[in-house]
Amino acid sequence: MNYQNTPLTDTVDVALDGPWTQYWLAFLRLVTGWWFFHAGVTKLIEDGLAFTYGPMYMKGMTGTALGPIPVWMGENLAWLIAPGVPLFETLIGLALIAGALTRLAAVGGVIFMTLFWLGNADFGNGLVNGDFMGLLLFVTVLVVGAGRYYGLDGVLENTAFVKRHPKLRYLMG
Amino acid sequence: MTDTIQKAAMALGGGLMALGIVGLGIVEMLAGKPYGAAPLTNEAGAVVATPAVDPVLRTGLVLAGLAVLGLYGVYAAVTAEEATDEAVEAGTIAD
Repeated sequence: MNYQNTPLTDTVDVALDGPWTQYWLAFLRLVTGWWFFHAGVTKLIEDGLAFTYGPMYMKGMTGTALGPIPVWMGENLAWLIAPGVPLFETLIGLALIAGALTRLAAVGGVIFMTLFWLGNADFGNGLVNGDFMGLLLFVTVLVVGAGRYYGLDGVLENTAFVKRHPKLRYLMG
Repeated sequence: MTDTIQKAAMALGGGLMALGIVGLGIVEMLAGKPYGAAPLTNEAGAVVATPAVDPVLRTGLVLAGLAVLGLYGVYAAVTAEEATDEAVEAGTIAD
């Protein structure tokens, strides 16, 4: 295929290493991070580390594809969920905003969004809803390693330590 | 070998997700109302139409697809080779 004749390449570099792709992936990461940071930090302001709605929400997740797991978690892991929801939402948000340990944070976001997607079960217009789109945003950030673009992971991955331990890139990027 | 596993994970993961979202979504549409994946209710709140395919099955397929991709990610991380000193000095570490 002759890409020279592709209309977009005349005006905008759409290659994955092109400036617009990096710019947009960084922006997407920033907005996704702000989304979670805002959700987490406002819970911290209102409820501190005692977000009791978290375990209650999990207990209500009956009849989902996750089977009894969320209900069991709501009943037995309330000590972790109540402080964990606001704390991890905040930390995931901060990590994405800074672009540090981006992939690790995005995995956390995927777990959160999976629970929201199944728990809210807002499927009136089909399975693809806002919650699922949020899930896909985190997967996208994870797959492309969006922390490398205008993020701290771009700096961290160039340190000698990370170069000696390239497996760390699976938590960064 | 690694390439084959990667292709298999991509095919299986993407295939399961596409089946749950698009494939069974088409079935849901062809089956008529409610078209979506939630029961349709009237103004009194009574259910007048239920999804033809259980949303638990559809969401389960999507989760299974995500799980396959996640497992591949773990496999890739575990089997990634540590860098040699020569490679670090030469800056030849691949993504």
